Amino acid sequence: MIMLYFLLLPLIVVFIAPLLRPKGATYLSSAAFLIPFFSILYCIFKGCPAEIHLMNFAPPIGEIYLNFDFISNAFGLTICIVSAMVALFALPYMEHRFEEMELKVESEFRRYIFLYDFYAVSMLWLVYSGNLILLYVFLEITLITAFLLIYSYGYGNRKWVGLLYLIWCAIAGVLTLAGFIIIAFEPLNNTLALSGITTVGKLAWAFILVGMLIELPVLGPHIWLPWAHAEAPTPVSALLSPLTVGLAGYVLLRTALIDYSFIEDYRMYILGYAIFSSIYAGFSVFKQTDFKRLLAYSTVSQMGYVLVALCLGPFGLIGVVIQYMSHAFGKSILFSSAGGIIAVHHGLRDLNKMGGLHDSIPAISNAAVVGFLNLGGILTVGMLGEFFILRGVVDTFLRPESPSFLGWTGSLPIILAVIFMFILSVWYGFWTIRKVFYGKPKDTKRLEISRYFYVPLFIIGIFSVLLLFPPLSTMLIQGLNAIPGLGGVVP
Amino acid sequence: MIDDRIVFLLLFLAPVVSSIPIALAYKSKGWTEKLPYLSVFGIFISVLMSLYIFFVFPENQQYAYDWIPDLGINIVLITDYLSRYMGVITAVIAFFIAIYGLEYMRGDYRPSWYWFFFNLFTASMLLVVYSDNLFLLFVGWEGLGAASWGLIGHWFRDDDEIAYVGVPKRKVGPLELSWPPSFGGWRAISTIRFGDVPMFFAIAAIWVFAVDKTGKSTLNISQIEWGTLFTTIGAAGTVILLTLFLMGLLTKSAQVPFSEWLMTAMTGPTTVSALLHSATMVAAGAFVFIKVSWYIRPWELHHVPGLEIVYTFALFIGLISGLYGALAASGMLERKVLLAASTMSSLGLMFAAAAASFWIQPEPKVAAGMNVALLVAFWYMAVHAFAKASLFLVSGHLIHATHSRFLCGGIEFAKRMKTPFIVTIIATAFLVGIPPLTAYWVKSMMDEVKLHLFHHAMETGAIHLAIPIILLILTSLVYSAILAKFLSLNFIKGEKPEHEHLEGGGLMKLGYVLMASVLFVLTYHIFVLEETEGFVHAGGEILSIGVGGAIFIVYIAAIFKPRITALSKLGTFFNDRMYLPFVNDYILPKTGFFVSHLVQDYGNRGIDGFFNTKVMPGLFDRISKGIRTIQTGYLKTYIQIVLGLVMISLILASIGGMWI
Repeated sequence: MIMLYFLLLPLIVVFIAPLLRPKGATYLSSAAFLIPFFSILYCIFKGCPAEIHLMNFAPPIGEIYLNFDFISNAFGLTICIVSAMVALFALPYMEHRFEEMELKVESEFRRYIFLYDFYAVSMLWLVYSGNLILLYVFLEITLITAFLLIYSYGYGNRKWVGLLYLIWCAIAGVLTLAGFIIIAFEPLNNTLALSGITTVGKLAWAFILVGMLIELPVLGPHIWLPWAHAEAPTPVSALLSPLTVGLAGYVLLRTALIDYSFIEDYRMYILGYAIFSSIYAGFSVFKQTDFKRLLAYSTVSQMGYVLVALCLGPFGLIGVVIQYMSHAFGKSILFSSAGGIIAVHHGLRDLNKMGGLHDSIPAISNAAVVGFLNLGGILTVGMLGEFFILRGVVDTFLRPESPSFLGWTGSLPIILAVIFMFILSVWYGFWTIRKVFYGKPKDTKRLEISRYFYVPLFIIGIFSVLLLFPPLSTMLIQGLNAIPGLGGVVP
Repeated sequence: MIDDRIVFLLLFLAPVVSSIPIALAYKSKGWTEKLPYLSVFGIFISVLMSLYIFFVFPENQQYAYDWIPDLGINIVLITDYLSRYMGVITAVIAFFIAIYGLEYMRGDYRPSWYWFFFNLFTASMLLVVYSDNLFLLFVGWEGLGAASWGLIGHWFRDDDEIAYVGVPKRKVGPLELSWPPSFGGWRAISTIRFGDVPMFFAIAAIWVFAVDKTGKSTLNISQIEWGTLFTTIGAAGTVILLTLFLMGLLTKSAQVPFSEWLMTAMTGPTTVSALLHSATMVAAGAFVFIKVSWYIRPWELHHVPGLEIVYTFALFIGLISGLYGALAASGMLERKVLLAASTMSSLGLMFAAAAASFWIQPEPKVAAGMNVALLVAFWYMAVHAFAKASLFLVSGHLIHATHSRFLCGGIEFAKRMKTPFIVTIIATAFLVGIPPLTAYWVKSMMDEVKLHLFHHAMETGAIHLAIPIILLILTSLVYSAILAKFLSLNFIKGEKPEHEHLEGGGLMKLGYVLMASVLFVLTYHIFVLEETEGFVHAGGEILSIGVGGAIFIVYIAAIFKPRITALSKLGTFFNDRMYLPFVNDYILPKTGFFVSHLVQDYGNRGIDGFFNTKVMPGLFDRISKGIRTIQTGYLKTYIQIVLGLVMISLILASIGGMWI
C-alpha cells in the first residue's frame, strides 16, 4: 500500500506546487518525483507487492489496479529521475523564456508548473496502470498537457505546431482505444484488466500497432515529431522525446506480453520496417541545421531500436525496456544541453553558427557527450540494451528451434542491418559533438552559467552509468528476466 | 595475502577514482596544477597491484564475482600467462608515461579532461587484459574507445598547427590532406565503432551457443569449448562469427583498410600517442586475438570446417598491413605519423604471427608446452611496447624542443640533446632486430614460425603459405630502414631546427629513460625464462643470422642516407598512404551525405509536404470550403441538393432491385 502513497505524492503536488513561488514550486516538484524514485529503487532491491487493488467495475472494464512488476518499475524509475531533474533544469530556463515572451514570470510559472507536473505524473501513472482504460486516460492526459505546454510556450509557429501534435497523437490515441475496445469485447477476455486479458485478436493488435506506430513514431508518421520536439519549450522537449514517445513502446510491450503471436506472424515485415525507419532517420540527422530538430530525428532513429527489439523474442523484449531507459537518459541530457545553449547563447539553435562552444560552456558540452554515449550504448546502460537486442537477433534467426530460423548465411542481411543501425547512432552522435562543441572557438571566454543547467544532467548521466554495473543492473536485469515471456534462463 | 577483491578493486578503480578530483576541479587553476600528482599516484597503485598479482597470485587462477549471474554475465578475471605479463606491462608503461606527462602537459588548457581520460584509458586496458568474461572484456573495450576519442581530440580548438596531421592546405585532387584534432577524435571513434558493433554481435552469438565442459552456457573465454561451438554453428557460422569478431580487433589495431584513424590520431598529445601505441588500444586488438587463439587452440581444430579460412584471412591481413605500414612510413616526414605507420606494421606482424598458430603444433618440451607462434606474437608485443613508447616520448620532447612536428635536427642538435639521442639509438636498434639485441631473438623465432609455414606449403601444396616468410623479411628490412631514418633525420643528418628550446625536460627524460631501460630487463628475461628458450635457439639458425645481418646493413645504410631524392615521387605516394585517405575522406562521406540528402530533401520534405504542410491540409481546406459554399441560404441550392439526393437514392434502389 505504501507504494500507492508514494505515487499519489506527485499527484497531490500537482495542485500544491502552483501555490508556491517558482523556486519553491520547482524544489517541491523535484522532490515529489525523487521520493517515488527512491521508493521504486527500494522495491527493486527488497521487493514489493506486485499489485495494488483500487476498485472494481462491471465487465468489460473489470478490475482497476496498479501493477508493480519490474517492467513498470523500470519505466517508473526512468520517468521519476528524468522528470525530477528536468524540473530543476527548467527553473532558470522557463523564467528566461517567460521574460523573453514578455509574460509575468511569477504568475505564468504557476500555470506552467501545474501543467508540467500534471504531464509528468500522468506518464508515471500510465506505466503503473493495471487496466487498459486507465492507461488510455493517462495517455490522453499526457497528450493534452503536452499540447497546452507547446501551444503556450513553444517557439516559432507554436500554435500550429501544437495543433499538429494534438491531431497526430489524437489519431494515435483513438486507434489504440479502438484496439482496447475490441479486446474488451472479446468473449474470452471480457475485461480490460491486464491480468485478466488472455488474448489479443489480430484486428485489435493491428489497431494498437498502427496507433502506437504513429505515437512511437516510425518512418511516415514520424513527420510530426521533428516539429513538436523542436518547437516545444526545451524542458517539455526533454520529457516529450525521452519519455512520452517511448511509452508507445511500453504499450506495445504490454500487448506483446499478453499475446506475441501477431508479432511472430508478421515479424519480417515489422522488423524490416523498423530497421529501415531507424537507419532512414539516422541518415536524416546529418542534414539538420537546427540542433533540436537534429535531436528529434535521433529520437525517431532510437525508437526504431525499440520496435526492432519488440520483434526479437524474449530477450528482445528485455531490450525494449533497457533501450527505453538508455534513450530516456541520453535524450533528456541532450535536449537539456540544447536548452542550455539556447539560454546561454541567446537562442542559438542553428548548427551552422555553432562550433567551438566547448570553451564557453564546458560543463554543458561534457554533459552532451554523456548523452550521446547513452544513445550509442557506450559504457552506459545502453550497452546492455544493445546486447539484449543483438542476442534477440541470434535467438530469433540463428537458433534451429526458432520458428523464424534462417541460418547464418540467410540471416546475414538482417545481422548486418542491425549492426549498421547501431553504428549509425555513434556516427551521428560524435559528428554532432564535433560540429557543435569543437573546432575553432569564436570566443574562448568561459561563461558563468547557472548550476541548474548542468548539475541535473550529470546526475542523470551518473545514474545511467551506475545502471550498467552491479548492484543496480544485477537486481534490475534479474528481476526483468524473471518475468514470464521476458528473457529466460540461460542453461 | 591481501583479499583478491581488494586487489582487483584497487587495480581497476584507483586510476579512475584518483582522476575524479581533477575532473571536478576544472575551474581552478591552482588545483589543476597540483592534482595531476594524485592521478599519477592512482596509476602507481595499479602498478603495485599488477605486480602483486604477478608475484603473489597463483597462475591460471580464475576469480569470479556476481554481476548478472542468471544470464552468465559475470565479473570473471583470470591470471593466465598472458594477462599476468600484459597487466604489468600496461600499468608500468602507463605509469612511466604519466610521469613524463606531468611535465609535458604542464600549462595545457584543459588538464582535467586529459587526466581523467588518461586514467580511464589505463583502467579500461587493464580490464581488457585481466577479464575472462567476454562481456566484461567488452566493457573495457568500449572504455578504450571512449577514452581514445577524448584524448585524440584533446586539443579540440584546432587552433594550433603543431597538433595537426599532414601539411596544411596541401591538396591532392579534391582532397585536402590535413586533419585537425577534433577530426582525429571523430575519425577514431567512428572507425572503431564500425568494428565494435560486429564484435559485440559475435559476443552475443557466443553467449547463445557457447557451452563449457559440463554443457553449461558460459561467456568465459577460458571455459568455452570452442571446438564444440564451431561444430554447432557449422562452417558458415564459424566464418561469419569469427570474421565479425575480428572486425573489432582489426579496427582497434588499425589494420588495412581501417588504418586511417591511427594516422590522424597523431593529432592528440604525444603522451596519448605513446600510450595508444604501446600498451593500450592498438595493442588491445592484437592482445585479444592472441588471448582468444590461446584458448581456441586452432591447431587442434583442423577438422573444423571454416576455421582455416579465418586464420588464413588474419594471417594475410596482418602481413599486408605490416608491409603497407612500413612502406607508408618510409615516405613520411612527420615524426609521430611515421611512428604511427610503423606501429601499424608491427601490429600486422603480431597478427600474422598469432594467426600462424593454426599451422604450428606445440611440443611439450618446447616453450613449456605453449604454442610458439602465440608466444612469439606476445613477446614481440612486449618488446615493441617499451621501444615504441620510448620513441614516442622522445618525439614529444623533440616537438617541445624544436616546435616542429616534422623530422629535423642534425648532429649539433644531438650533442645538446644527448639523452634523447641515446634513447633513440637504443630503442630503434633494440626494436628492428639487430643481433644480438632484444627484438632479434623474438624476430628470429618469428622467422622460424613463417619458415615452418613455408615447409608446410612445400609438403602439402598449399602454396599461399609460402608467401608469409617473404613478406615478413621484406617488412623487417623496410622497418629497419624507417626507424634508422627516424634516428638519422632527428639527430644526425636532419636539417637544423628553426627553434631550439632545450631547457628543462627533467621529468620527460626520466620517463623515457625508464621506459627504454626495461628493454634490457626483457632481454634478460628472454635468456632465463623456460618458455623463451626457443627464441635463443632460433637466433642461432642460419636464416635468422642472415636476416639479422641484412637488417643491420639496412639500418646503417639508412642512417647514412636517410633520404633518397631520386625516389621522391614514390615517397610522396607512400607519404599519402597510397591514397587510402580517398576512401575514408572522400568516397565514404560523399556517399553518406548523398544518402542523407536523398532522405532529407526528398523523403522528409515529401512526407512533410504530404501530411503537414501541403496535400492533406489543402485537401481539408477544399472540403471545408466545399461544404461552406453549400450553405449560401439560396433556396435554389437546397432544392438542387434534395433533388440530387433523391436521384442518387433512386439509382441505388433500382440497382439494388435488379441485383436482388
